[in-house]
Amino acid sequence: MEFEMKIDYYSGDPGEFIKVIEEKCTGCGQCAKFCTRDVWEADGKIYRPINLKDCVECGACWNICTADAIIFGDPKGGTGVRFTHG
Amino acid sequence: MTEDNFFDVIVVGAGCAGPAAAKKTAELGLKTLLIEKSPEPGTKTISGTCINLAGMHNEDLYYILKGPIEREIHSMRTYHINDARTTVFNEIPTKGVLLLSIRRDIFDAWHTEQAKLAGAEVKLSTTVTDIIEENDYVCGVITDSGEEFRCKVLIDAAGVNSIVGRNAGLIPKRSGDNMILYVTVAVELGEEVINDRFSDEQGGYCIEYYLAPGIQYKTWPWIFPKKDTVTLGTGGYMTKDLFNDKITNVNQYMQNFLNLPIVKRKLEGGKIVSWGLHLEYDEKISQKVKNGLILTGEAGGFVIPFLGEGMSPAFATGIFAAKTAAEAIQKNNFSKESMSSMYEDMIEEDLFLQGFMHVGKINKESILKKSEEEISNMMQSVVLGGGFITNAVHTKWLEGAENGDIEKVQEALDFLEFIQPYRQIGSEFEEIYRKLRAEGGS
Repeated sequence: MEFEMKIDYYSGDPGEFIKVIEEKCTGCGQCAKFCTRDVWEADGKIYRPINLKDCVECGACWNICTADAIIFGDPKGGTGVRFTHG
Repeated sequence: MTEDNFFDVIVVGAGCAGPAAAKKTAELGLKTLLIEKSPEPGTKTISGTCINLAGMHNEDLYYILKGPIEREIHSMRTYHINDARTTVFNEIPTKGVLLLSIRRDIFDAWHTEQAKLAGAEVKLSTTVTDIIEENDYVCGVITDSGEEFRCKVLIDAAGVNSIVGRNAGLIPKRSGDNMILYVTVAVELGEEVINDRFSDEQGGYCIEYYLAPGIQYKTWPWIFPKKDTVTLGTGGYMTKDLFNDKITNVNQYMQNFLNLPIVKRKLEGGKIVSWGLHLEYDEKISQKVKNGLILTGEAGGFVIPFLGEGMSPAFATGIFAAKTAAEAIQKNNFSKESMSSMYEDMIEEDLFLQGFMHVGKINKESILKKSEEEISNMMQSVVLGGGFITNAVHTKWLEGAENGDIEKVQEALDFLEFIQPYRQIGSEFEEIYRKLRAEGGS
């Protein structure tokens, strides 16, 4: 069986619920390494959550960031990932 | 701020612990608000797929056994696969249901409805963005619409990354061998195919565990049968060794799992209908109570990933937090000292929680030190030698005996004695379970 990331999202703008604090980011790239959804991309010397629309809100990036450079909140009420069959 | 925004208790998160807590406080006559960020409870969670009946021997939890279940699981099958051979173990207890598989989107919706029926106010599609603290006491929350809700006691049931616990300074960042990154997929096979492929020799249904090279990192990949779908899960501890030259993403562990010939045949004709990802915390949280605030379920670190155990501890700690809140409100004392002593007493008296946390901790310690092959051997001994409880006792005992450390031997003995009443709970619980299902099961 070919693996597939089948995901559903609620409609609506989730807001900028993950942000990088530019002056704190050391560019180590751990956020990108542990992100299963390729949300994080290098931008010069730092990383940014460029593909936030693909995020499934697991929090791996926030937990792995030793530089404390990530603000990780929740999407606005009623938006974001919608898991089924959990 | 109007009267409508004042509550005795506010519970954040409608997963396992939240509805249990909100239902209980409402039943105890407290004005209760349950807040959930999702429009439909159970759609921000992807695991907690089987309720372990061993963790439900508490009358306060009996109503949960009347909830919507997918299948009754009677037995376990484990596959140990290496280049030379595949060894299969079947464990079929003589009688009784071991686990109940559920779908969280269905179950959590039902559970939230129970809280509502008990009198709790429920707000869905509402994200908590911060807590309110005054005079060193947590006393409410702020939501994404900027609205403030105040309370005497706040119960955090918002999961592993809860914004409540994090903003209160109780939930730290975690990774390494204290955090597991886990991926799941649900495969639709249809009811009859699952009846056929996941039944055991006695006509019950069976969960399966697999150990094979390249399909996990120090965890146990599994397949759990639901009604029309089966769920597969795998992943590993968030250390540097989670990834290597061949594996750069946890999805690859899942692809390798799906590619095992034995699994391919199990899933033949099926299609992936859902994918999910989450983190599981694997260590105790040191401080679970603050002035005006109690952490429950995964937010409080009450999860034992090694044993695949999270829901029963969440239900139980939700109830404990509710009782603690009720007593605190009666005494008009919401201080950390007062609430913590009530809450911790209830946790310490819970045989299942204490027993399983201990067993999980010791077994985890042993696998972290072992290679994949050694883990497979250890798991075979666990299955043949009487399970994880026995393994925990033996491990401690041997460690003490080998190093001449009498304290470790004593610790093993003490635990054996502590767990005895739990091991003596027999088939009478099966009768209780049957009666509850007959009363209101769906």
